[in-house]
Amino acid sequence: MPVALAVAVFLSELAPTRARFGLTTVVDLLAAIPSVVYGFWAVLILVPLMAHTVEPGIQHATGAVGPFSGHAGGLDVLTAGIVLAVMILPTISAVSREALSAVSRQQREAAMSLGATRWEATRLAVLGPAMSGILGAILLGLGRALGETIAVTLVVGNNNQVPTSLFSPGQTISSLIASDLNSAVAQGPLEFSALVELGLVLLLLTIAVNVVARLMIWRIRSGEAGGARHRRKHSRASLLRFAPALDSGVANPRGVEPEWRRAALARLPERIRRRHSVFLLIAGLCFLATVLAIVPLASILYTAVDLGGGAVVRPTFYTETQPSACNPGALVTCPIGGVGPQIEGTLILLGLAAAIALPVGILIGIYLAEYGRNRLGPGVSFVTDVMTGIPSILLGTFVLVVFLRYYSDAASSALAGGVALSVLMLPLIVRTTEEALKTVPVAVRESALALGFPRHRVTLRVAVGTARNAIVTGALLAAARAGGETAALLLTTGGFQYWPLGLTHPIGALPLVIFEAGLSGYANWETDAWGATLLLLGIMLIISLSTRLLLRRAPSNE
Amino acid sequence: MSSGPSVGKLSVHGLDAWYGKRQVLYDIDLDIPDKGVTAIIGPSGCGKSTFLRCLNRLHEETPGGRVAGSIQLDGEEIRDQNEVLVRCRVGMVFQRPSPFPNLSIYENVAAGLRLLGIRKRDELDAGVLDSLRKAGLWEEVKDDVDAPATGLSGGQQQRLCIARALAVGPEVLLLDEPCSALDPIATTKVEHLIHELKENYTVVIVTHNLAQATRVADHTAFFYLGKLVEFGTTETIFHHPAEKLTENYVTGLFG
Repeated sequence: MPVALAVAVFLSELAPTRARFGLTTVVDLLAAIPSVVYGFWAVLILVPLMAHTVEPGIQHATGAVGPFSGHAGGLDVLTAGIVLAVMILPTISAVSREALSAVSRQQREAAMSLGATRWEATRLAVLGPAMSGILGAILLGLGRALGETIAVTLVVGNNNQVPTSLFSPGQTISSLIASDLNSAVAQGPLEFSALVELGLVLLLLTIAVNVVARLMIWRIRSGEAGGARHRRKHSRASLLRFAPALDSGVANPRGVEPEWRRAALARLPERIRRRHSVFLLIAGLCFLATVLAIVPLASILYTAVDLGGGAVVRPTFYTETQPSACNPGALVTCPIGGVGPQIEGTLILLGLAAAIALPVGILIGIYLAEYGRNRLGPGVSFVTDVMTGIPSILLGTFVLVVFLRYYSDAASSALAGGVALSVLMLPLIVRTTEEALKTVPVAVRESALALGFPRHRVTLRVAVGTARNAIVTGALLAAARAGGETAALLLTTGGFQYWPLGLTHPIGALPLVIFEAGLSGYANWETDAWGATLLLLGIMLIISLSTRLLLRRAPSNE
Repeated sequence: MSSGPSVGKLSVHGLDAWYGKRQVLYDIDLDIPDKGVTAIIGPSGCGKSTFLRCLNRLHEETPGGRVAGSIQLDGEEIRDQNEVLVRCRVGMVFQRPSPFPNLSIYENVAAGLRLLGIRKRDELDAGVLDSLRKAGLWEEVKDDVDAPATGLSGGQQQRLCIARALAVGPEVLLLDEPCSALDPIATTKVEHLIHELKENYTVVIVTHNLAQATRVADHTAFFYLGKLVEFGTTETIFHHPAEKLTENYVTGLFG
């Protein structure tokens, strides 16, 4: 968390302008990496590192007592914690960066005009106003960690016991659902109900976290606006006792200049040197943090290109189905296949999800921004926010349960997957639409109204027109999130290896390949998985870049 | 240039400034006299604000901002000095009131003092009282200096910003269209304040409002398209300008 904040500060405030665009893109990309990729990367790179180097090292240093006791195997609570930290870091820093850059330039310049260094200007003028946004970012990150399923399932060790040390395997609610729900359906109603009930517990937990987060942000905001919380520290009398002394000093041509101020000015050059070193120190720390954040990305990219690069350039990778699993041996040549069905599957699922979520989401967003100033509005807003925080595994469970109940033939199907993804995308689209519409200045709306436009045309033509780019961006980001989604699909699509048969039949998807084939132990499958990883990363990169360019081209209102 | 004083508080020679590749100031020579008010007038986009921002080295903090030429403060080149030190001597107030929104009135004014390294309660209190009184705000806020600064009216916020700048103890005060976001009554108060300040400070004010320049300024400089067209006493500029361009502008023929 401190690392994430430092990254945000560095990127928006301290970094040289030229480096900013590139670095920001990198961190955004990091935030867009699907969790299954993180998990996959963690199993192959982080787990061995933990098992062979880090954990024995810690045990050696601490004498392997208390939280550090037990067998250091890598697949444990500590590793899962580190993966989670790596995963939520970019989320926190991306959102905090938004909050920081929302503070106007003039604030910074005002501070600098008082003789503040760049860091001091940040501390004085920027961190305060941005605080509620930063807090929101942190809670958002924690919320994401709480519900994170796939990466944790892969590395936590899945042991159904209360962990006794940081090195013992553990299990989270979401990882349990992910690994056991599908088989529980087959086993019988009791197991199934137990898991769904666990899901309910997790749901209540996330809702509680979200409600607390909202309340905290709300309290900070109202504290700022109303000033109801300010404490009186300086009474009129306490300040006035200096009046006579000041009055008698008026003879000085530069106004009142008491002894102490002259002394302070005299000490200033030396202080400035010290303050400059503070600035350098903090800039350095923030830079280090940024580097630290980029290391996993570099490692992921390197591994993906190294192991999956060969697959991606082969045309059959896009057209063929997965081969039968095998390991190359002395006498065996393995068939090399592709993930064509899964690519198609991902496209179908995304198309389905978008077809459901886009119209509904945008309409809700318009409603909230334009007509939501009644009793219903804030309620819908709140529900949307909470929905954003609901772990995807729960959305998957929910959709599965609904389908089992009313349309059980298609419980594992493209249709169910698409519905699950659309539920996932919906709150994101609503939020971005609403935010985008709210940034359209009132003056623009009013000038359109003044020209005699009816209200609905103002909304449709003027407001939506102005905010179009931002809405498209939101939709793209939502699609990116859905495209990398694993947990929900794991439960609803059936993880099919072959060409899609129809909407009510099981279907494959890229993230599922990574999840299932990646750790199968078969060399040719793993290559396919890395290829799929690289492909997903490429798609995320393209989406991330194009949204940034789109937003950049849009006229800024400043 | 003929009527300008030969040596001033701030003397600028051959100043060029750029935003990215676009040059916005060309070869400015200007001596700003010590004490009194110097107004900078000219149509929008003529480089007035940029010029002001060069004077406390803020322009070079702007993305793409670049400066060449010489600016001397009391005969010393400001680019050879630490920029923080320069900004302590040359304060600035912006177009829109910009109090730090999360700080109280007291803490806003004390912010500059704290940056100077002043920590003692007595010294901070005295400095805050002094600045608030100089900015003519004390009478209005004395009942609760711990109230949030954002609760003040626009005009009060602007005077708070002036108080905040004064607290550091500058010699020069740069005002970038300080009244353009204020109503007429608040404007009058700020102008009144500028009148009082010029006894002890060198005030440089950028303004769009020609009447304001005639009301507050002793000297006036007219900028057009990034160049200094004419500089002289306000009386000269407005009533006997040497350049046709200046005459056209001050009589309202363009701009």
